[in-house]
Amino acid sequence: MSEFDVIVVGAGPAGSSAAIKMASQGLKVLLVERGDPVGSKNVSGGILWGNDLAAIIPDWEKSAPLERYVERKVTSFLTGDSEIAIDFKTKKFQEKKTGYSVLRTRLDSFLARKAAQAGAMVVTGVTVDSLAMKDGRVIGVVNEGETITADCVILAEGPNPRVAMAAGLVGKPNDRTVGIGVKHVYKLGENVINERFNLRGNAGFAGEYVLSFLEGDVYAGGFLYTNKDTVSMGVVINMATLRKNGNTHSFDIMEKFAQHPFISSLVEGGQLQEYSAHFVYEGGYEDMPRAYGNGYMLVGDTAGFSFSNGMILQGMNYAISSGILAGEAAIEARKDNDFSAESLSRYQKKLDNSPAVLDKKNFQGISNVVWSPMVHRAIPALLESSLYSMLYESGKPKKHLSQIMMKSLKSSGMNSKDLMVQGYRLMRRM
Amino acid sequence: MEIEEKLALLNYKTDPEYEHITINPKICETCPDHFCTFACPAKCYTLIEGRINFKYEDCVECGTCDVACAHGSVMWTNPKDGHGIKYKFG
Repeated sequence: MSEFDVIVVGAGPAGSSAAIKMASQGLKVLLVERGDPVGSKNVSGGILWGNDLAAIIPDWEKSAPLERYVERKVTSFLTGDSEIAIDFKTKKFQEKKTGYSVLRTRLDSFLARKAAQAGAMVVTGVTVDSLAMKDGRVIGVVNEGETITADCVILAEGPNPRVAMAAGLVGKPNDRTVGIGVKHVYKLGENVINERFNLRGNAGFAGEYVLSFLEGDVYAGGFLYTNKDTVSMGVVINMATLRKNGNTHSFDIMEKFAQHPFISSLVEGGQLQEYSAHFVYEGGYEDMPRAYGNGYMLVGDTAGFSFSNGMILQGMNYAISSGILAGEAAIEARKDNDFSAESLSRYQKKLDNSPAVLDKKNFQGISNVVWSPMVHRAIPALLESSLYSMLYESGKPKKHLSQIMMKSLKSSGMNSKDLMVQGYRLMRRM
Repeated sequence: MEIEEKLALLNYKTDPEYEHITINPKICETCPDHFCTFACPAKCYTLIEGRINFKYEDCVECGTCDVACAHGSVMWTNPKDGHGIKYKFG
């Protein structure tokens, strides 16, 4: 007889969502978190997109510690001198919210509290060393040489899943599946944020940037999100190009973004409250591990659930939805009294019909586009020189846009056929 | 702002008894790239007189160095008993 029905390793959005789901249906759940308090190890950009929490916390938009809802979404190319952006602001997001900025220490402790209220036992400051195995199946977890037994273990360790890696359930992350995330949080005050970002009430700004001004062929993206009275700013650095460059510090890239004239002005006068970093999971569909086995399931980043297409960066929503589906699978498996791989394959079936897997599957190869020279260098250069030529009044007769663009294209050194082919690929994959 | 000033803003509960990341100096000695010194966002890896110096006390547990080191020198584990970085915002 096991001590618990299910042990969940990791109290992030994935683990806590699974625990809430299972405990509220009467399962005996242990939620183990290495951070103390919950959330103190966790970093996100972060916007929580979608409405996945509603399935386990119907009033989450009122009760969860949300910062601001996204009303204004900017996608931008930053060159040394210029910013070229799509600035989408809509009343439709006021009426129907698409996402909220969150701070993980607050969100994660809220979710773990909900899990405890639902009846889960929550322990913090406990690091799981490994899985306990017997006859080819997981029978619990090991901490400091002691085994705690369960019929099933849900691994919700985030993007750096040491327990799952040690057990060979997921592959080792590599240059292709990892980006280095670095972040600043500035205190600015509610009124300053509202004025500077042209916001009212709890409306918020979410900006994502292609940092095409970086030297030495290092590729990185930036983000800037407004919280209630703070601003989250950060970068995600492509590991492969940083390695190839071999002479640029990740922390200097963060500083360069913060110092860009069009970015620094947004947080001017703000006080840096926190510096943080975590690697970001960027693997594709082909990198996803099998999410279940004899006595275990993988959820959230541990299972490879994150998504980015350059305009959208998501992870917490898939963490929550996959956690809930794993919870459902465990509840059904409990009824059947069967936590074998065959029984838990029902989790995979649920996943296969969910956005967590479908988005990954339908956007295969997207990372090649997101991290391409075309997106990081050619397009911003072309846009900058074309717009500059068009908008600078030289006092000479005006040219048609097509002429300007052809001239810019020629000076960019790219050939128009390549651009057509790659541009088509971009539109198709995005 | 210098990285050292940024790190000084952080709260840690340092474990004096357990270094959760260790490196193998023999491997680092022959390393041709020292990419860890560029990749680590917390500047835990520095090159002093040609030798890698690693400070686990400043580590923010981001996982980067384990991927960055292509030579198998980094032994990466999670800190124990709630030790290590304690973010206020995250």
